[in-house]
Amino acid sequence: MTTATLPATERTLDPVTFEVLKNAFATSVDLMSEQILRTCYSFVIYSRDFSSALCDAQGNTVMQGSGDIAVHVGTLHFQCKAVLEEFGEDINPGDVFAINDPYRGGTHLNDVSFIRPIFVGEEIIGFAQNKGHWADIGGNVPGSFDVNATEHFSEGLRITPVRVWHHGKFLHDVAQLLVSNTRAPAQALGDLQAQSEATAVCEREVLRLVGKYSKDTVVAAMQETQDYVERSVLNSLKGLPQGQWETVDYIDFDPAHGEGLVPIRIKLTLDGDGIHYDLTGSAPAVETFLNSGYGTTHSAIYAGTKTFFPDVPLNSGFYAAVTADIGQEGTVVNAGWPHAVTGFCSGPYEKVMNGIFELWSQVMPERAMACAFNLEYLLIGGHDSRTAAGQYFMWYDWMAGGWGGRQTKDGSSATSPVFGTGLAVQPVEGQERLNPVLTSRHEISTDSGGPGRFRGGCGVEKGGILTDATKTVMSYCCDRGRSVTWGIEGGLPSVPHGVWLNKGTEDERYLGATFSNVTVRSGDAFTRPSAGGGGFGDPLERTIDEVLEDVIDQYVSVERAERDYGVVITVIDPEVDDYQVDYEATHAAREHIRANRAGWLKEDPAAVAHRYQSGEITVHDVLRRHGVILDWGTGELLQQSTEQYRESMQRRSAAHWE
Amino acid sequence: MSDLRVAVDVGGTFTDVCIFDDSTKEMRVTKVPSTPSNPMEAVLNGVARGNIDLSKVQLFSHGTTVATNALITRRFPKAALVTTKGFRDVIEIRDGTKDDLWDAYSDVSGPYIRRRDRFEVTERVDYAGRLVTALDEAEARELGRLLRKRGVATVAVCFLNSHANMANELRMREILEEELPEATISTSAEILPEIFEHDRFNTAVANAVLGPLVAEYVEHLDRQLTDGGYHNDLLLLHSGGGSMTPAMVKRYPVRLAASGIAAGAIAAKHVAQQCGYDNAVGLDMGGTSTDISLIQDGELRVTKEWEVEYGHPIVFPSIEVLTIGAGGGSLAHIDIAGSLRNGPQSAGATPGPACYNMGGKEPTNTDANLYLNRLGESLADGAMTLDRGLAEEAIQRSTGAPLNLETAEAAQAILKVANANMADAVRLVSIRRGLDPRDFALLAFGGAGALHGAEVAKELGIPSVVVPPSPGVTSALGCLLVDIQHDLSGMYTSVAAEADLDDLERRFQKMESDGAERLRHEGVDDADAQLERGISMRYQGQWRSLQVPMGSGADALQQAVETFHEEHERQFAFRQDSQPVEIYQLHLRALGKTPKPAFVPAPSAGTTLPEPAAYREVYFDGSWTRTPIYRREELQPGMELQGPAIIEQLDATTVVPAETDARIDEWRNIRMTLPQTGDAA
Repeated sequence: MTTATLPATERTLDPVTFEVLKNAFATSVDLMSEQILRTCYSFVIYSRDFSSALCDAQGNTVMQGSGDIAVHVGTLHFQCKAVLEEFGEDINPGDVFAINDPYRGGTHLNDVSFIRPIFVGEEIIGFAQNKGHWADIGGNVPGSFDVNATEHFSEGLRITPVRVWHHGKFLHDVAQLLVSNTRAPAQALGDLQAQSEATAVCEREVLRLVGKYSKDTVVAAMQETQDYVERSVLNSLKGLPQGQWETVDYIDFDPAHGEGLVPIRIKLTLDGDGIHYDLTGSAPAVETFLNSGYGTTHSAIYAGTKTFFPDVPLNSGFYAAVTADIGQEGTVVNAGWPHAVTGFCSGPYEKVMNGIFELWSQVMPERAMACAFNLEYLLIGGHDSRTAAGQYFMWYDWMAGGWGGRQTKDGSSATSPVFGTGLAVQPVEGQERLNPVLTSRHEISTDSGGPGRFRGGCGVEKGGILTDATKTVMSYCCDRGRSVTWGIEGGLPSVPHGVWLNKGTEDERYLGATFSNVTVRSGDAFTRPSAGGGGFGDPLERTIDEVLEDVIDQYVSVERAERDYGVVITVIDPEVDDYQVDYEATHAAREHIRANRAGWLKEDPAAVAHRYQSGEITVHDVLRRHGVILDWGTGELLQQSTEQYRESMQRRSAAHWE
Repeated sequence: MSDLRVAVDVGGTFTDVCIFDDSTKEMRVTKVPSTPSNPMEAVLNGVARGNIDLSKVQLFSHGTTVATNALITRRFPKAALVTTKGFRDVIEIRDGTKDDLWDAYSDVSGPYIRRRDRFEVTERVDYAGRLVTALDEAEARELGRLLRKRGVATVAVCFLNSHANMANELRMREILEEELPEATISTSAEILPEIFEHDRFNTAVANAVLGPLVAEYVEHLDRQLTDGGYHNDLLLLHSGGGSMTPAMVKRYPVRLAASGIAAGAIAAKHVAQQCGYDNAVGLDMGGTSTDISLIQDGELRVTKEWEVEYGHPIVFPSIEVLTIGAGGGSLAHIDIAGSLRNGPQSAGATPGPACYNMGGKEPTNTDANLYLNRLGESLADGAMTLDRGLAEEAIQRSTGAPLNLETAEAAQAILKVANANMADAVRLVSIRRGLDPRDFALLAFGGAGALHGAEVAKELGIPSVVVPPSPGVTSALGCLLVDIQHDLSGMYTSVAAEADLDDLERRFQKMESDGAERLRHEGVDDADAQLERGISMRYQGQWRSLQVPMGSGADALQQAVETFHEEHERQFAFRQDSQPVEIYQLHLRALGKTPKPAFVPAPSAGTTLPEPAAYREVYFDGSWTRTPIYRREELQPGMELQGPAIIEQLDATTVVPAETDARIDEWRNIRMTLPQTGDAA
């Protein structure tokens, strides 16, 4: 093994001063987050879709907030550097800049950053930055999530670096231009002000440190804090194996190419010199908004990796230890101007993160984890006829779901997406007050967790009825309706994502896992699941008692206990939780599955589709037994997707069965 | 003659007893080991140890960890949740977030009631409180039968939107009371009539699972005290910084969670008041953690964001206390990148610090204090002896050698990092409220607070430090000082400028009559009742609201709006006068004033200092200094001394650094004045 190259920078600060300043930087950033949480107007920010950072004079991140959303990780320095490039010498005390440009390292247009230079005398020593998700940033659809967008022009307002405060004076005209391009200008103006003020909190703290420790010491500590993180990561690698690992995960489809999963390829190399990723070979940009710019692809890489180094603080030192070749512009992971990228979060982001989980599961088996459910947003916008004026409403809803099974325990149920584990699900009672919707259920869905020795966490089902809406449309930003949440080490998939309209009635329609601008009317009922996590390990090795407990709690049904786990349970008296395991039948069922499952995975897909259409088998069987991908509404076979999915299931599941 | 006031505060390790004698105006304290398996035993042991004649006790108050412990250990009676069809998983889905954002193996704990014990019934109310679907009575009755069959002892009834209309919940309660006459029923809107289902449901669920257990404990203790001759109501300290009687504990047992944490903060407030400080920070440092509380304008900060475990909110006003993992037993270590860290890992009680000679090998703050001779080798009047050689060895091996520092420098580095961590925590609680810690006094207590207080203050630029007479039992003192208190709230959404003032007044009056009724139920004389209105507001479109006091009269609302603007500007540095202000919630605090001990100041005993009990070479700022060691009990009001000095007493050691003046005030507090450097904060 070669020795990791440690940063060459000299350590000049004594250990106490360094530790004190490093922690003080964290406090200065967390104070900024604390303030924005208490003063924001966007309910998306309020639900913790925001981040804060202190950057150094070059724009490198010194410290990111401890409660920041994962998806912003590793993008804030790009945005700060963009401001530096754009304004150069023309940055003054009392200036504040705004930027959301996804082609300058931003995330998506909704995420607007405010950046304030921190001056000591004439000299800039750093920048305070707060980035938050505005509820709307204009564009074709309410909430600015236009699934069908292929270029950013229909997605909303693109903000290249622009000044909103100049020498401490508020530039009213510029601010008006920004907020007037959104559907909720008053809210946007409130957030613009709240975010800018929050950056002042960080500035004040950093200046206090300068007063106490001197400018030179604080500036040195900013650099040493980055070196410290790089050193932490490199030292952590010393005990790990070296080598190369690779995987492929998929986005559901590219409308430009019809049916067929869209590959994202990830290769990980550990050579003792750092952590290296290679995403070349990923598909060309898709003709929807499920593309990722370079900023967010880096974010997915850093956030995925960080999951295996939970204790290391985030800053540019981390980004120095982790390198990535994301390939030429024009791909789904490096889209470039003017490709639409707002849906990156449901598209490449989750694929890269989960793919990285899978790769590191082999490097650090003690932290292994199967695939988690996909980030999903339902957006319903229109006029609320409960109010006399028919006020505009934007109902913007996301769900918790299941995370993957792990090496020593089941996956976490009903948890926020890996894209941001601090992103809070909104209370139904708040939503019903603000939008003409009556929620019919919000509950854990039985049998949603991918079967495994350790089951995937359970997903959630949420349904509602529009009560008093006019001129209303619905859009959905998700994925993994076809590239279904997978298991590893022999574990099985969970269930597909996708929205149903008027399910179980004559008007039933399956709308799929991404769609835009579907007209909906008062009285329409919609429902959707979030997937569970993928299973970890062979489900036939799950203990009978664990399956029984799951049945009592209805996380798993009696039927699926038999078909997924081969555990046969007799219901005696459910009123007092009296269930009995039929051990003989269980033994037989497990043997039967063991003997046949390799064959089930090769069964003629058309025949499987037919059995699904006739109601003979459920979606669980289609996926978990046969690895077949269908249009879940019509039951139509998706031939190419099935081939791709079976190949991946062969590798992740079947190859590990005895 | 009933002239004793007794307060008993149960902690994790010790149960502290405070006895105030009204006839002599003197206070005594005593300590007995806690008895976690049966906490009442320690309470009664404390009464015995304190030689308390219960028939002479005028007021007995009690801070208990019974409720908190039950929530941690999850030892509950057979409980069930009954909820609206489609919503049985609200307390399991929560808001979906994780406490540990990055560690995928660190999970949020499960709900207080398992899925198998959660049941649904057909009913629905909409956001405005209109009935969408009536309660299906046949189903409800059938459910009652099922719960009886399952042997359920306590039920939480939690229906969607019940904060807007609780009729269905109340009807469900009636049916359950008929079907399950033995069971305790908690309904969510009666416990907490507030919007947001998870907060309300979980608070009601916590109330339900605690119900029988806490009520039984309180009843039992009450009976024991009565049998012993106590003839008044037992007062139980609750999270809001007030107390309640056993009669109300039965209805709101969940309010006893956090009982213990609040006591320390209340004592801090009392000491601040005695010393004439309107603004103060309480630093209650124990073995594994430090509780930081904030007193602003004479009042403790109150929060509604509180939980025993992450993800399971208990939404009652609670004294805001920030607990951080920094205590005497916090471990210093060199991390993977070669940097010196301190905590949050702790050596705990076993193996404890290296100097305890119980197998601990890693250096702790206690080891550093001992090696630097700030802490003596003999503790608790000789009951415990510390091994300085083991402390030296641990510090040198784990910190000194890797950082290439002398042992003393290494020990000092350990303490500096610990002090800076505590200072950062104080900054978090103060600056986030728009407060400058330099305007505050620091009150140092707990077993280790007085060892670190002066240096934490210095780090923060705080000029004044107070160490109360018995720093180790300050929490029990807090129990002596509380009034009966109930916190009521209700939703009220309207733009302030458009609010119907008569309607608003009626709502407040209704809350006042409810509050007064609760006080009467507790036997409070109307003359001692005090009702305080509060109102939560926000700029229209904002998500968080701010609570401000509300008066009565025609322009009360207008004044509250102005206070809101001012408070928003003070806390967040901006106000938006052009933005409409929206009312969000109404609050009422009902206080039943109880008589407080009348502490009397001690006369000055002159200024002649006693001879130091000893001298030690103590390490301050890079050099060993011959330092006098005083016995606290020999220091009388009026005496003054200059640092460096160490003051030792049974339950604590106070460090007075160089260039610091210390004075014993008329309440026997040590008052330190630090030299002003003018740059810190």
